[in-house]
Amino acid sequence: MKKSAVVIIGGGATGVGILRDLSMRGVEAILIEQRDLAFGASSRFHGLLHSGGRYAVKDPAAARECAEENTILRRIGRHCVEETEGYFVRLPEDDPDYEPKWVAACEAAGIPVAKIALDEAHRLEPHLTPRAEAVYRVPDAAVDGFRLCRQNVLSAKKYGGRVLTYTEVTGIDHKNSQLEGVRIHNTITGEVDTIQCSVVINASGSWVGKVAELAGISINVNPDKGTLIAFNHRFTDRIVNRLRPPANGDIVVPHGSVTLLGTTSSPATKPDDFLPTTKEVLELLQAGKALFEELPQFRLLRAYAGTRPLYCADPTADGREISRNFVILDHSREGLKGFVSIVGGKLTTYRLMAEKISDLVCRQLSVHTSCRTAEEALVEDPSPELMNKARQFFPSFGVELAASRLGPDFATAVELIQKNPGKKELVCECELVTLAEAETVAADATTFSMSDIRRRTRMGMGTCQGTYCGLRGVEMMVGNELAKGTSTVELLREFLETRWNGIRPIIWGHQMREVELTRGIYEAGLNIDGAMPDERE
Amino acid sequence: MKENDVIVVGGGLSGIFAAITAARRGRQVLLVTKGVGAIAIGGGTIDMLGYDSAGIPVRSPWEAMTKLEPTHPYTLIGRQAIDQAAQSFLTLCAEEGYPYSGNLQENQWIPTALGRMKPSCLVPLTMNTTTLKAAEEVAVVEVHRLKDYSGRVIADGLNQCPGYRKKYSVVTLKTGIEDGRDLTALDVARWLDTEKGRLSCCEQLARSVRPGGVILLPPVLGTRPDYEAFNRIEQATQCRVIETVGLPPAVTGFRLRKLLVKCMTKLNVRMIEQSNVVRATIENGRCNEIVTGNPDRERSYRARSFILASGGLFGGGLQASPGQVVESIFNLPVHVPAETDQWSHENLFFTSGQPFAKFGVRVDGSLRPVDDSGNVLLENVFIAGKTLAGYDYCFEKSGNGVALATAYRAGLGA
Repeated sequence: MKKSAVVIIGGGATGVGILRDLSMRGVEAILIEQRDLAFGASSRFHGLLHSGGRYAVKDPAAARECAEENTILRRIGRHCVEETEGYFVRLPEDDPDYEPKWVAACEAAGIPVAKIALDEAHRLEPHLTPRAEAVYRVPDAAVDGFRLCRQNVLSAKKYGGRVLTYTEVTGIDHKNSQLEGVRIHNTITGEVDTIQCSVVINASGSWVGKVAELAGISINVNPDKGTLIAFNHRFTDRIVNRLRPPANGDIVVPHGSVTLLGTTSSPATKPDDFLPTTKEVLELLQAGKALFEELPQFRLLRAYAGTRPLYCADPTADGREISRNFVILDHSREGLKGFVSIVGGKLTTYRLMAEKISDLVCRQLSVHTSCRTAEEALVEDPSPELMNKARQFFPSFGVELAASRLGPDFATAVELIQKNPGKKELVCECELVTLAEAETVAADATTFSMSDIRRRTRMGMGTCQGTYCGLRGVEMMVGNELAKGTSTVELLREFLETRWNGIRPIIWGHQMREVELTRGIYEAGLNIDGAMPDERE
Repeated sequence: MKENDVIVVGGGLSGIFAAITAARRGRQVLLVTKGVGAIAIGGGTIDMLGYDSAGIPVRSPWEAMTKLEPTHPYTLIGRQAIDQAAQSFLTLCAEEGYPYSGNLQENQWIPTALGRMKPSCLVPLTMNTTTLKAAEEVAVVEVHRLKDYSGRVIADGLNQCPGYRKKYSVVTLKTGIEDGRDLTALDVARWLDTEKGRLSCCEQLARSVRPGGVILLPPVLGTRPDYEAFNRIEQATQCRVIETVGLPPAVTGFRLRKLLVKCMTKLNVRMIEQSNVVRATIENGRCNEIVTGNPDRERSYRARSFILASGGLFGGGLQASPGQVVESIFNLPVHVPAETDQWSHENLFFTSGQPFAKFGVRVDGSLRPVDDSGNVLLENVFIAGKTLAGYDYCFEKSGNGVALATAYRAGLGA
């Protein structure tokens, strides 16, 4: 049996934000995540750190929150946020009367917008449609959801926060209307345990209703599915939004070496309704073409989908009509003290959401320290000494990248290369991940699969979608005794099948060839799946 | 303009073997090719038929071929043509001094870089594994800095394969190549082309393995179609040497291609490389000429008959877009489900294969394209290799086998 003052359920941005907030306030907290960090909507989205412009007209309060949180995150999250800035672009078919309304609303919400001459806009973004009639600059930024979650956890750990990944909550125990603890199950080892606690925070996103059910409480959350496409190259350096009321396929976000286009909106069948359809992809391409005319010819990399946990008191409302704002539900109103849920919201305001719910929980626990999450950076910058040392051993192109990806673990990777220069070789050529980085992450106690390494390093997220780094990554894990009991074939299979989920909705053009290459190598060449005579005869 | 009897489009295994077959029948042949085909990916083993449609390992390809679907290329051309193709191939390799081993009556199981065994049929002598099962000790050799190849993974994997549980040891070979860039199997093969490389390799291996055992090597035994490096190492170590199947670049494939191109040249087949065929001129159900569209200008080439061996979805002979697949030169019909979601299975591996893998051009018994009712669409065009519909080479392990057999049949018809 474990003990903790607070148990947080859900390892998305909200959950890890709460863990960090409470830990910094000195409240003992432990976070339970059923899969890996950022498994849900915190990674299955467009990675846009909103300036607030998107919500300025319809939801001024949300816009103001975004504007403030955007500023804070660019400051504290230097190693997971890329300050790309953004465009809002009005096309001939967009209502011209919306433009002045939008500008006024942005000003009212404190969002700095600046109109930019069209030729300058095209000089900076040559692929942007020549049909643009008005372009504004806003402080949008790109955020890496995987890294954001990881870095919140790293920060929380410094203050004593604990995390259990691949752990499901199987029961929430209470007695006489007071919460007593949770029962948990490790999905890898099969171990079961209990955690005694006085507060449980349900921050499980689209799963929030399912978790509440464990305590016999009903929450009306409609998971809403959003599909996105990743393109193989970075065809815009800036985020590009349509200057019109939010609709499908009107956000384009550059991320490292790729570009994302989102999003669709349709009711999800379940919280993990993550498989996009070709129909959704074609709709997105059609919509995205308005902003970038050559877009249908660009090479696609994959499609993916996440679910938005939209909260609605009215069970008949749906899709974009539900507020993106968040709601905190204190279930003491339903007669269960110590159980609170947080629903809705968006990643840009995750820190604020965490602050609000931590305030509530601290009041219940009679803790009087105030929130400090906006003041301290998520991870410290690597020291100049470390960076200088890294430059001696690391491939030059990878130093900054690896430092940002690994945070405090960067020093370990540098030492690995110092000891064995062979480890500066790239395991993932598409995303420039060295053997040393992959090994550092694989050695972490919370890494169990190749996909866990992928989420922290981007290994396998580039052009070849795991075809080459797949075998190399597994060789690295097996060779360093880091496979933790999983066989070569199983490690590879898990990695390649999750890549396939994203390629399947777009198997045409180059990705069809890519899949045939993958099958040609692993199935025809290496026989990953064929039975041996004595196995099936 | 020079008139040809036969023009072959495509320079992979099927294109080259079709050209050789036609030229041996006295035809004047021109081969036009954009690249080198998938042989650099898949390698030089001739997989005939490794698994049946239920995924059960095939003991004898010759027997199992009778149970294939009526639309499978093997069924269409018949076993006699397949047998002749195999004999023709084996004879040719032997004549060129690089004999292959195997026959259609039984599969050979060969080790792969993943530590799995895979069914193949006709393989170079360096992949003859008859001694592997009986061996007590196996040395798995990896090469220092060679990417995508781990002795440990192979040793662990094979040790879990039924019938291959034994004592494996990992030996690391050093090439001394330290020029800073990544090392590929081709680099190591070039090193073993040299006297210095062979000496060093023999010396290192003789020091670390006991005579009488088996040595597993990456596919690096020279870039030329001969067994010089192989024989030298076997002599020096007094062990049986076996090459495994690895990741591309597939050195065994380059070796086979070199051999076949040499043979083709002897037969006076002309080859135009790096040339992209963009369309064909059709009149009264016959093709008169093909047109290449290169950056400078278009050129047309005439012939009495044509062999299309431009590859499938990977090679570029078939091109997929949402809801449709086209054969890009003759615009031949390719039937696919209108819903792209139905093209594939939700699992990439461990299924009964992928529906899209069987996409291709439908043909008659002489490999001429046909319409829905089976009527021949082009009298003088014959199709070989992955452009053909009806087989998933990855799942059934029939890649170079279908290529070879249909190339032979097309070469006979053209």
